Amino acid sequence: MKQLTRFAADYVGYVLKGGTKFYAWMGSLAVLMIGMMYVFYLQNTEGLIVTGMTSQIHDGLYFANLVFLVGVAAGAVTIVFPAYVYHHEGMHKVAVLGEMLAITAVIMVMMFVFAHMGRPDRLWHMIPPWGIYSFSSMLGWDVLVLNGYLFLNLVCGFYYLWVKYTGGQVNKKWFMPLVYIAIVWALSIHTVTAFLISTMPARPMWFHSMMPIRFISTAFAAGPALIILIFMIVRNNTKFWVDDSAIKLLATIVTWCLGIALFLTMSEVVVELYARTEHANGLYYLMFGLHGLTNLVPWFWSAVVLMVGAFILFLMPRFRNDMKLLPIPCVMAFAGIWIEKGMGLIVPGFIPTPIGEVTEYYPSFVEWLLTLGIWAFGFFILTILLKGAIGILQGEIKYGAAK
Amino acid sequence: MKKLAIYTLAAALCGSALYAVSAVDKAAEQAKEAAAAPAEAAAKEPLVCFESRKGASEITQKEVKPGLPNVKCSPTTGAALWYGDPYEGTVPMGKMPQMANLPEGQAVVRPRTEKLNLVAMCATACHNGVVPPGFPKHKKPVPIPTMEGMLPEVKDFQHGRGAIWCLDCHHATKRDKLVDHYGDPSISFDQPQLLCGKCHGDKLRDWRDGIHGKRIGEFASTGKKRWFTCTECHNPHNVQDGERNRGFAQLQPEPAPQLPKGMKDARHEKLHPIPH
Amino acid sequence: MTPNETPQACPAQEQPAGCPVPPASADPAACAPKTSRRDFLKAGGTLSLSSLMGAGALMAQSDDAHAAAEWAEHFQKNYRLMTDKEKDEARLRLEKRYSAEYGKKVTVDTTGPQPGVLMGYALNIRKCIGCRRCVHACVEENNQSRGKRPGEKIEWIQVLRMERGEFSKERMNQGYPEGLGIQVGGNAYTPAGQVLEGQYHYNPETVPEKDANYMPIACMQCEKPPCVKVCPVRTTYREGDGVVVIDYNWCIGCRMCMGACPYWARRFNVANPVLPKEEMNPVTHYLGNRPRMRGVVEKCHWCLQRSRHGRYPACVEVCPVGARKFGNLLDPNSEVSLVLARKNVFRLKAELNTFPKFFYFYD
Repeated sequence: MKQLTRFAADYVGYVLKGGTKFYAWMGSLAVLMIGMMYVFYLQNTEGLIVTGMTSQIHDGLYFANLVFLVGVAAGAVTIVFPAYVYHHEGMHKVAVLGEMLAITAVIMVMMFVFAHMGRPDRLWHMIPPWGIYSFSSMLGWDVLVLNGYLFLNLVCGFYYLWVKYTGGQVNKKWFMPLVYIAIVWALSIHTVTAFLISTMPARPMWFHSMMPIRFISTAFAAGPALIILIFMIVRNNTKFWVDDSAIKLLATIVTWCLGIALFLTMSEVVVELYARTEHANGLYYLMFGLHGLTNLVPWFWSAVVLMVGAFILFLMPRFRNDMKLLPIPCVMAFAGIWIEKGMGLIVPGFIPTPIGEVTEYYPSFVEWLLTLGIWAFGFFILTILLKGAIGILQGEIKYGAAK
Repeated sequence: MKKLAIYTLAAALCGSALYAVSAVDKAAEQAKEAAAAPAEAAAKEPLVCFESRKGASEITQKEVKPGLPNVKCSPTTGAALWYGDPYEGTVPMGKMPQMANLPEGQAVVRPRTEKLNLVAMCATACHNGVVPPGFPKHKKPVPIPTMEGMLPEVKDFQHGRGAIWCLDCHHATKRDKLVDHYGDPSISFDQPQLLCGKCHGDKLRDWRDGIHGKRIGEFASTGKKRWFTCTECHNPHNVQDGERNRGFAQLQPEPAPQLPKGMKDARHEKLHPIPH
Repeated sequence: MTPNETPQACPAQEQPAGCPVPPASADPAACAPKTSRRDFLKAGGTLSLSSLMGAGALMAQSDDAHAAAEWAEHFQKNYRLMTDKEKDEARLRLEKRYSAEYGKKVTVDTTGPQPGVLMGYALNIRKCIGCRRCVHACVEENNQSRGKRPGEKIEWIQVLRMERGEFSKERMNQGYPEGLGIQVGGNAYTPAGQVLEGQYHYNPETVPEKDANYMPIACMQCEKPPCVKVCPVRTTYREGDGVVVIDYNWCIGCRMCMGACPYWARRFNVANPVLPKEEMNPVTHYLGNRPRMRGVVEKCHWCLQRSRHGRYPACVEVCPVGARKFGNLLDPNSEVSLVLARKNVFRLKAELNTFPKFFYFYD
């Protein structure tokens, strides 16, 4: 128990210390978070009228980010899996950072759930024994798997850090099974999120069985792309060194998952547009516009350019192997998938409505600010978690060291 | 001590009584005001809305109890939009052939003879039971300049595609009645179904069963309903109305739904640019 | 119970837990034949007296009462899990709050499904002239938000205008697949009756238009409702008489049901509903037209506050062409049963296996 309080104190003490750069970073994030809290307050007094959402297009930026971030959370498995299943040396060293990223992403997902809901004050209605848990609802399952994933990552990540902190040995008897469960669980969170939207025949754009694999392939491209960027930042700004081998393996994963994602997108486009049934209207709206309404067309084509461009760059050894140039395709892939999976997948699902009304969606300032605020919050906790984790891995936080 | 208590009690009683009186007065005043306001409005312009079609039955808005109107009218078109009292101004429909199984008094109609009292005037002024001079001896349609002058719509008579004319429905001598082709007993304007059904038998059958036409009130098959008769929805002089051929006169629609946020207009709905 | 025994028109009077006065339809006269006039007046008298007192008490401390009522509402259970006593408490709480808020005696009915009744609806698609009277009657009856800002005006019925379209000599060589040279000519295609190409905002001077068909769409009260399946808190469910309802106090506003509905029947309250006092319909049902709050979903419920007491829904009563038919599917003599027996009917999007109890038919 004494060890535990010591751990908490050491951790917090270490995390709070930092240079001007650190405080400037955290301070600017905090400003965005204050903005977020204000618009969240607005949303819950005025109602969602302050957003661009309507009864026609009732899921927007929040839901899009939610779906995307579930992918990022699941993407952390691209570190854990090679580290523990293939015993990849470089990866094993940084596995805990992946877990920290997963924790952050899941927390962000939950914040987007709050932002999305009409009555966040009634969330307890979902939680037994006070509320009702519905096993027939995919959203219920999604909440269950997301919380489970958060729990698994908190346990695995912090147990590992704790062991490093006290200088003991990992108890593989229960730690390894938990890691394996977490790996499978990562797949489940994104699969269930895909089921969330692909089980609605009312929305033909989403109603196909390719959705889960498309979700997972894009997740395993966007997640590691973000992780590579984070590793680059960590390498350049802290004493912690991430091996080239780990980054290269991640780059390979990004490349091929991106390739699969592009292939699946292409398959969908061909299947839908060759026959061009009414069920293809959503996709058609996304690609070319419908009834002269073309709001999402630039989004789609920029996503295509970004993803195809990133894929080509990843295939070029000059970019793949140069640690200075690698961030370029990573940013492109990340941005491309964010668009494709967010605005490009969620919004056109509502256009046209199931009875054929074509309307458009314009995210309001409140939505952008709230989204930005949640991302800022995400980076805020990610910074804290990564800083603490690196401190422990580096041995700067150690039991008995800071007396 | 006891006395004091009694005094206090008395005082309290008086006070509460006074309060009650003033409260009652206040309430009465309010009620008077409330009653006066709609009364004034009503005095200015009694709100009358048409029911199914313009030119047929109409209802004057009034309160059936405080805050509850008998009918709400559309501010846009003047059509009846909501029925507080579905049975206002109704009378029992009376015996109808093959509808004997309807419970007594459960089927009511709103008489239209009052509305059609123009016809009554016709019946006293010209068509007063005497066959007018120059009355055609055959059943072929002939132009009647007097009638066409008063009712221009008969010139472009849209019913029966030239096979029928005025006297196929209107009684030759009793102009406030419709004809019954079997014997003299004529048909009231309140029961046009008896006449219409002679040609449109399938429609009459469906109407009897409630699957054609309109009924309001209680939905149970044994419930009390106000039945709308043929001419309350269809204009018998204008059922075809040219090319539309739908049986109903055109009327102004109620306002379109609100444009969703972000949409400036609905022009895109008229475009069909997609290659199919 | 044989199907011939149709339910009483005013069952509320037999229910001790019901309202003191049959909230029936908006119309007390609808139930009058079953009560003697004197009884009715007496009830009305006591009612108005008590409501006056109640209103007075509420006015004095309306803020407190309002806050207390809202606070208590916040912690009530899902309507289906409430005991009769809890339902009664919830009802009284709401009646008190609404009466204070709207300045008139508001009743909140909790009448349940009536035995032997399975509600059904049929719409004669050939008759509809697209006048939208049903849409607005529904708003008069069901206390939807009527605000001016986009999103604040809610209508449950949508009327779709579909072009008849025509094949013409001039357009013989137009249409699919232009330019590819596979199949040129012989297809004067224009969009005729295409659901996904209709208009909702049509506003001509008069309807019906020569070149248009109209199709009203609202909640289909499905037998296998996808919205019910996706609800994470089971706040939307199907009642025993076949109507899919929402407990507005339990809804978390996640909008999954809106995504799952293939008929776009559900609307979301993006803001605090704007409902002027004078336009508010004081005869409400807990699962029906009682005023909603911000952030919850609502939809058509076949005017439960009317139909549970035997009265036709509001849209049926105003349809100027009698296109709308409503009745008990278990009664072979009801309008809707006779339509099913005699007419050609179809269900919208039957391929989705939602089994609507709303049928379209044509003569």
